[in-house]
Amino acid sequence: MTLPAPPAAGGSAVTARIAGNEAGKQGRLLMSRRGLVAFGVVAGGANFVLFRLLIGGGHISTEMVALTLPGLVLGWAFAATMAVQGAGDIAEEVLGGTLEQSQLSPARPSVLLAGRLAGLTGQGLAGAVVLGLVFGVGFGVHYTIGPGVLVPLLLTIADALGYALLMTALVLRVASIGAIVHVFNMAIMFFGGMVVPVYAFPHGVEMFARVLPTTLGVEALSTTLAGRGLGGAWTDGTLPWLIVHVVALGSLAWVTYLNTLRRARREGGMSPR
Amino acid sequence: MPVDQRADGAAGGRPAIELAGLTKRYRRGKDWLTAVNDVTLSVPPGQVIALLGPNGAGKTTTIKMTCGLILPTEGTIRISGYDVARQRSHAVRQLGAVLEGSRNVYWPLTAWQNLMYFGRVKGMRGHEIRPRAEQLLADLGLWKRRSETVGSYSRGMQQKVAIAAALITDPPVILLDEPTIGLDVEAARTVKDWITHLAADEGKTIVLTTHQLGIAQELAGRIAVIRDGTVIADLRTPELLSRYAEDRFEVTVAGPLNGFAGTLPAGARAEADAGSTRITLRDADQGRLHAFLGELRAKDVPLVSVSQARPDLEEVFLRLIRDDSAKEHAA
Repeated sequence: MTLPAPPAAGGSAVTARIAGNEAGKQGRLLMSRRGLVAFGVVAGGANFVLFRLLIGGGHISTEMVALTLPGLVLGWAFAATMAVQGAGDIAEEVLGGTLEQSQLSPARPSVLLAGRLAGLTGQGLAGAVVLGLVFGVGFGVHYTIGPGVLVPLLLTIADALGYALLMTALVLRVASIGAIVHVFNMAIMFFGGMVVPVYAFPHGVEMFARVLPTTLGVEALSTTLAGRGLGGAWTDGTLPWLIVHVVALGSLAWVTYLNTLRRARREGGMSPR
Repeated sequence: MPVDQRADGAAGGRPAIELAGLTKRYRRGKDWLTAVNDVTLSVPPGQVIALLGPNGAGKTTTIKMTCGLILPTEGTIRISGYDVARQRSHAVRQLGAVLEGSRNVYWPLTAWQNLMYFGRVKGMRGHEIRPRAEQLLADLGLWKRRSETVGSYSRGMQQKVAIAAALITDPPVILLDEPTIGLDVEAARTVKDWITHLAADEGKTIVLTTHQLGIAQELAGRIAVIRDGTVIADLRTPELLSRYAEDRFEVTVAGPLNGFAGTLPAGARAEADAGSTRITLRDADQGRLHAFLGELRAKDVPLVSVSQARPDLEEVFLRLIRDDSAKEHAA
């Protein structure tokens, strides 16, 4: 039997196709559980309303909505959702054996990972945009929106991706990852600017909050949305520390993911143990 | 013209699968557990080889190392000449796998979406996948339900989708780890028929692991038995079956044995049938057979036939495992 020589495995078109395929799969899996996703978005919105009513003594202040909406949108709706989805998807794939099957690809694991992250971003953004529009338009929130807003926004998205990726990576090593994700997500919800602005916390709590994923991004974004521009976010220290946070968390997550995958290949850990 | 980058540099006639000194050791606390120990196998194109062994023998680890899903501690693996460690991207294009104990495909997606996904994950384009997906779904009787989620299928249909996904790129090498586990008789028959079709009509090289030894005997031209990570037998199926055939005879006599039954040789078993009795002499050499036939003649028992019994694969397998275990204890 004569076997045909396969096409070049590392070609950029093939790589892009495989990454796109992975992102598309994430989208299709999202559609298959759209009811659950919609419920998560509604629950996030209901929590936000509840917090606003509790803190506002039965009234919802538009000013407080404006101050805490970035925390809801980027911290809870985006980062926390992606962490749950990312970790849940990998856990499901390990149990179902589809993670192993997808690794039978000629593409490098990092290509599949990039596609997976793109799909996750789409999932996270869908809920975040819905909640942002509902509360932003619904309460008549006014923000100063200029090109400078994009910088902290994109950095916060990158920070959230780093967090989601780290949680996803740990699925391959930590059996009780669900509990860990839950603890981090609760911390993001309470300390990430969704309940009250971070500056309202006592100093020690404020410092702790800023270590959490997306908190610095929410602060920097709030500064620019309040009209103080990128310069304001830079001088108050949130923007430079956000950059450091994004690089550190992103690198840690990327290295952890690839290492855990390598370790899983060494120890046979990509299938149920 | 694409350059052939195969690691073996062979012009042709290369084995479809070559495992050389394949070893896998896992760290368990301070100790090392050897799951696979120095396995060397060469499988020519078009051969169906069954990898048999008790639970924990190392079959699945061997299969997963062959796929590149588990890294070996030592040894090399080549698929169609491509080194799995150094040319993984080429090697994985040469194979499709259905892995044991797994769904293998996405249950929330439809059969069609799964085939498109698994084709693209191997780098194929949509227009290359579609005709193949249509053909596979039609041949496996899934075409009408292609737009339903796999989770809504019966277990047999789900396994068919897993097989179709493994075949979507038309790979020359197929690894099937327990492909009929949990299937009912009809579904298992369909899978068996497909394996036969793939080997006989499409010339695929197939590595099959199963605990259903009848399936292995029926499908595989060659059988390797693995125990504690070591290959203890690797023979063509007829040779393996004849390995224990020389010391077992079946003697059929007309009518019941009556008073003769009490004088049967040690280890012999008699089964009465309508109008005849079949006596199986185990561990009997030619001398014992002749002595027994002499006794039958002396007592005027009418002889119908004498044949050398061929043990089935299950019996051979159990004896191989038992003998190997006894050798180990003696050592």
